[in-house]
Amino acid sequence: MCANCGYPAAPGHWTDAGMADAGERMRARFRRARVLNAILRPYGLTAHDGGVIPGVQIATLSGSHEIVRDLTEVWVAAERLAGAPVDPLDPRFVGAGGEAT
Amino acid sequence: MAARRDGRIRMTVLGGYLGSGKTTWLRHQLHRGHFKDTLVILNEAADAPVDGTILGEVQNVLVLAGGCACCQARGELVRKLREICDARSGLNSSEDRIQHIVLETSGLADPGAIVEAVKGDPVLVHHIVVSEIIVVVDAINALDQLRGETLGRAQVEVADRLVVSKIDAAPDATALKRLLATLARLNPGATMSASAHGSAVSVPEYDGAEPEPLAEPSQATSKSPIFATTLVLDSTIDWTVFSVWLSALLHARGDDVLRVKGVARTPAGRLLLQSVRKVVQSPEILPDQNDRLDKVMVVIGRGYRAEDLQRSLQYFAVAERA
Repeated sequence: MCANCGYPAAPGHWTDAGMADAGERMRARFRRARVLNAILRPYGLTAHDGGVIPGVQIATLSGSHEIVRDLTEVWVAAERLAGAPVDPLDPRFVGAGGEAT
Repeated sequence: MAARRDGRIRMTVLGGYLGSGKTTWLRHQLHRGHFKDTLVILNEAADAPVDGTILGEVQNVLVLAGGCACCQARGELVRKLREICDARSGLNSSEDRIQHIVLETSGLADPGAIVEAVKGDPVLVHHIVVSEIIVVVDAINALDQLRGETLGRAQVEVADRLVVSKIDAAPDATALKRLLATLARLNPGATMSASAHGSAVSVPEYDGAEPEPLAEPSQATSKSPIFATTLVLDSTIDWTVFSVWLSALLHARGDDVLRVKGVARTPAGRLLLQSVRKVVQSPEILPDQNDRLDKVMVVIGRGYRAEDLQRSLQYFAVAERA
């Protein structure tokens, strides 16, 4: 259990695997937030991970937000806030042949 | 088998259609000394536990009769597993603790559903990690079952290892080759082995054999065919990007993406990743060595275009810099 936030320590989400030390874990979290931001922006959402508390904050442009624990929950929250699931096979992600616009 | 560093029990799920030879194969493995320090759990859909009698000479056998663990008896399975975990947690570290569980499912079970039950339980997820799904396929009857039964296909699709049993009794060599080619098409990611009366024999060559066209008519569902796509994780796609992408894909398309399996390079080393439908098993760090499967992910599924996967992944990789 985390003494600050009360989240029970789970075995770890699968997306949190692969980092050898705390520094890398932190870097990976910031990087993940940047990638999430880029993907969620067209849906009118932002992702923020300050690195202080566990979890990622997903917010709409009008200010409603949710703090979620892992990437699985990120997409559930994004679907709820945006009203539609973020589908990586959506034409906006595959149509341009990999070119980000 | 070495204990996991995180102390969790490894669980092997042994599945396969009714009468495919699961118990025979397991009995032989136990006789040969595989699965040491292992608790065997037998699940039988019928009320009379026959398999328990067959495996009687093995000490650690627990029988779960009267319902299939992937559906009606799922609660019973979870309760039994929790009891086992409780008892194990109460032992001293110096005492012998179970390191491995083999769960032999009933012939009617979908192994994928059992993996979901274990991963989805808030207690068991801390104690048990499903390490392998072995599916026994009967060389005599499997082609018919695959043609007519969606369950038979579901079992084959989720396997890590396929064991083709009764290979010595297969009526004709052409049909056997056809079966092997069909299995390889249904689940290209699984390793295949063969057995006769439970003991391992070599897998017959099936190069050039045509897989059975397992298409629509007998399929109760009108779903499109299943195919495998190989994704290459080149230098632009690191683990962070890939995990963001895959988690989104499984959320949006989890019912269509049946299986993902491969090895990614991460700062901590080579990471073995596998998923069954929406459930991703805890990734495992592999010993450092070069392998042809490195940086390659096999995605098995239906309902999308193969080329879209790599394109979408590429988009995620460059999106951050846009």
